[in-house]
Amino acid sequence: MLVTQNGAELCALLIDEIYGELPSRIFAVLLNRGRSSLPQLVQYTSMSPRQLRHGLAVLNQHSLLYFDVNSDNGMTVYEPNTDNAYNLARIGKVLEMVDTSLSPSAKDVMQSLLLSGQTRISDLVAAYQSKIDHASNVAKLVKDEGDDWPELNGTNGDVQVVKMPDTSINSAGQLNSVLCRLVEAELVEVIHKKTFLSPQDILRDVEKETLDKYFLAGVKGGKGKIEFQEKVADGLRKVRDESKSLKRKLEQNGTAAKRRKLFSGVGMSNGNGTHEEESGDPGLDPKQVIRINWEKCLVELRNRRLYQFVADMIGENTAYVYAVLLKLLTKRLARCRLDPTIDIKEGEEDIGVGFVTTDEILDNLKTGIDLSLGLGKATKDKISSKAAEVIHEHPPKKKLFIAEAEVDGDASADEEDEEGSGSESGESDAEYEVRGRSSAPVGNGTKVKFADAAAGKEQRLDRPGQLRQHLLLLAESTQHFVRHCGPDEWTVDFVPLMHTLCEAELDSVIEQRSGKPGLRLVRLLRDKGKLDEKSLQNVALMRKAEVQQKMLEMQTAGFVHIQEVPRDNKADVKKSFFLWFCDIEKSATHLVDTSYRTMVRCLQILEVIRQQEKDVLMLTKRTDVKGREKDVMRKEYYDRYSRFRENEKKLFAQVMRLDDFVSLLRDF
Amino acid sequence: MAGDEADDAAKIAILKDALYDKVRDHGSELRLFTQKDLMELGIIPAGNLLLLVRVVQALTDDKLFVGVNSGAGIAWRWRSREDAKKYTSLPNDETMMVYAVVDEAGADGIWNRTIKHKLNMHEAVVKNCIKYLETKGYIASMKNVEHPNKKMYIKANLRPSERATGGPWFTDGELDSVFIAELEDIVFEYIKTHSAYLGNQGPPRDAAGLRAPNKGIVKTEAEPSRGVKRPATEITNDDQAGPTKTHHADGTATSTSGAAGRPRGKVYLPMPAGYRHYPTVLDIAQMINDASFTNNTTLGPHEIQQLVDVLTYDGLIEPIKVNGRRGYRVTRPTKQDTVAFSERRKQREQDGGVLIDAPRMGVKPPTNGLTEAPCGKCPVFELCEEGGPVSPGNCVYFMQWLDIEDSVLARPNGAVTV
Ligand code: SF4
Repeated sequence: MLVTQNGAELCALLIDEIYGELPSRIFAVLLNRGRSSLPQLVQYTSMSPRQLRHGLAVLNQHSLLYFDVNSDNGMTVYEPNTDNAYNLARIGKVLEMVDTSLSPSAKDVMQSLLLSGQTRISDLVAAYQSKIDHASNVAKLVKDEGDDWPELNGTNGDVQVVKMPDTSINSAGQLNSVLCRLVEAELVEVIHKKTFLSPQDILRDVEKETLDKYFLAGVKGGKGKIEFQEKVADGLRKVRDESKSLKRKLEQNGTAAKRRKLFSGVGMSNGNGTHEEESGDPGLDPKQVIRINWEKCLVELRNRRLYQFVADMIGENTAYVYAVLLKLLTKRLARCRLDPTIDIKEGEEDIGVGFVTTDEILDNLKTGIDLSLGLGKATKDKISSKAAEVIHEHPPKKKLFIAEAEVDGDASADEEDEEGSGSESGESDAEYEVRGRSSAPVGNGTKVKFADAAAGKEQRLDRPGQLRQHLLLLAESTQHFVRHCGPDEWTVDFVPLMHTLCEAELDSVIEQRSGKPGLRLVRLLRDKGKLDEKSLQNVALMRKAEVQQKMLEMQTAGFVHIQEVPRDNKADVKKSFFLWFCDIEKSATHLVDTSYRTMVRCLQILEVIRQQEKDVLMLTKRTDVKGREKDVMRKEYYDRYSRFRENEKKLFAQVMRLDDFVSLLRDF
Repeated sequence: MAGDEADDAAKIAILKDALYDKVRDHGSELRLFTQKDLMELGIIPAGNLLLLVRVVQALTDDKLFVGVNSGAGIAWRWRSREDAKKYTSLPNDETMMVYAVVDEAGADGIWNRTIKHKLNMHEAVVKNCIKYLETKGYIASMKNVEHPNKKMYIKANLRPSERATGGPWFTDGELDSVFIAELEDIVFEYIKTHSAYLGNQGPPRDAAGLRAPNKGIVKTEAEPSRGVKRPATEITNDDQAGPTKTHHADGTATSTSGAAGRPRGKVYLPMPAGYRHYPTVLDIAQMINDASFTNNTTLGPHEIQQLVDVLTYDGLIEPIKVNGRRGYRVTRPTKQDTVAFSERRKQREQDGGVLIDAPRMGVKPPTNGLTEAPCGKCPVFELCEEGGPVSPGNCVYFMQWLDIEDSVLARPNGAVTV
């Protein structure tokens, strides 16, 4: 994460909000000064080593630090982990995601992990055990005692509502199986000895090891260099994979799905019960220390975001199909953005995400979804099944990503269409159908059925046919949400897709800020490259004054940029002409920074209103009030308290919404 | 000798008329005739070059021939007798020269300063000549969109060229925004209704259906059907809509599945993949001209393409190629309003557009965290910092957004007890 001043401020505020002031102050100092040792920190902060050690421990517990022990002098140096600090803004979303995609009890466990940071499995089990015991004791005595779930930061009230849901863990076996699910989903990973090294340190170590092991005589020549790089990439990959050791162990025992199949005879379609089967899950090694794997969480969050895009741009049922496709496709995808040094081998094509078949999707669709909805109808003579069924085995070429965008419909996809166009246009329907069928995959005979459905409303497509229609629609979209990569095989080219969607997101910001005229001018520039004012007027069909005003406005907002081109080498400003252009990258970076700043403001406002209501908030801290605010407090005060809670919620929600934006532009 | 001369003059006069008539038969006023062309017309006997020169000179003097210096030497074109009469009726050489220059400029017109330069005459003289010609109705002033501030003149009986008027988008040298907007409306409506299927909204989803996967992540607005008036309160509440919808920390808030919030009814649905009848530019041009929305201008495919491009840049429509046929379809079909075109127009006229919370065409863009927060549209965003004159500590925008009155700010912090 590129840390700007606003970004740094945001990280510090987030830590303050969740883990308190001390760690936040230390973190800010580390951000400011970079890598520092304890004595240095003492110097910078005028805190006592004791305080510092305490603060550093908290930061470390929550993976907010990198540290490295210098082998020469034994001194430990600390570095801030800004990525994880920023991730704190996503806590709510991640919990929500785990809740819906796994189970409420998984969310509960996730929440514990968030509260306590990295945890030894045995400790987690112990914590839950005492809670389980306590709960059953309490349940015996009083029915509705408030929960005793620890609050994180005494002064702040809870960040996430910590009420224990009814669906929480009530046996050790259940806890174990929930953990297994989380590990399998890679949402939780294992700490290993290199976890806390910063990426640069890891690289340094791996390079050194590689040199010692394979290149004692040094790296020589171009070939040697390539070989060296490959070996380093291997090493880095190995380090990275270590965090998945638990998952691998689980897989050696067969995946959960397989085990369940063995146990129940038939695969359960959607094991979404709150009480997971306890059977069959191996006990996890209690000595392992686990923590949340944010990278994988981001993959899940991205899937959700993509779902939203499709729901908005195409329709909800199609989006649902897409969600299922994504879920299956990204099962093995560890992170959103591949690391160029590790994941992409020289000369090879990108390691794709693989593909999903129509049948797999069908097997995972909820039965309650009516796939006949959300699609227009047309008689068969109006449909070119050949065009619809076009298969693109390879991802679009890199160059095209930018040139194509969504403005220009003829990307690579269309070039292939063109080849067939001549012969196709004159075809009669009969011929047409034959061709459509012969070129179609042998699959489930959709073609024929589809024609029936269009002919008469009563005859409907069967479910696989309907599903296929949604998939084809996704494949045909100008955003290229899906690529039809083989007969009945579907995949997603995330890189170009996310690029397109970033632009779409920028577009909506621009439209909100500068209106349709602003959007028109920006997209025009994106399409045509650099233009002078005159051409802008001509193409946009807008008046001179309006164009001038909009362009200036958008230049200030950082959406468009201007370049001076001197007419001769005297560079007389009066004679030079000016070209407008727009640099998506630049605009995006600018907006991300603006978002950081806005998030900072939200958190600061929260502090302001907290100060305003300080007296009431103090009151709620009293042990005799806590948990029974409504009953004990005077109405006047209680109203103020609940108003505050509402506003607090609203501000946090706003921060998360801002993160939606930042994630898309920066991380997805 | 005198008789010879008279004879000669008569001969020339006859040849003059004969040559003039023949030349007019052989082409328009624009055609250039070289000396060879003229000779080959067969009027001048025995290829007498000298005679030809004299006849041509006589015609030029009568302003019936105009000498033009073409690349391959001098050539002539003819001028109508009426036009020629105008020339000959002019009082002096200066006026005639000015008129000639304006005439020369043709349909593009000419700038008065250019006239001055070309003729190397004094400004006052040129001015006088122009004035004379204008009052006579021989030339007229005109506007050229390419040089809106220059005073241009054109021969009175010519229509300014496309280049000068800017084509159908300009009226009196000004971009006709109203006309363009009108056409944009029509084109968009046509594409919308011809590229998506007007179908029924499905029944509200059951809880077990879509709710689970999208709980809390769908930020659809509880959209009232578009084009329908929204009460003022609802508009002011818009800012707050975002946050309350997404926060589900306690896990109890309900899902906001898009369909659930909307009344059941008609909705535009995307066409199946491979649809071959998305409207093309030619279809649209045909429609516009058939319906004759535009009196006395015909819009060709080129102009329609311009309109369609603009709508594409607006993000309202997108090009889609099926089998090499490039058509256009509406974006975000399911979000489009289904109110009939005329109906919506009527509503808009009734309120003068005040209460309708919908864009003229298409749908509002999705909002996001940045545009929703007060800071996103704050006029003093750049200045705002803690401890500064504008700071979160005294931010009025946020207090409004959170609905906190000022009185709260002034409340003394006394001891509070149960
Ligand atoms: S004044 Fe208020 S709205 Fe404006 S930037 Fe500051 S905090 Fe945000």
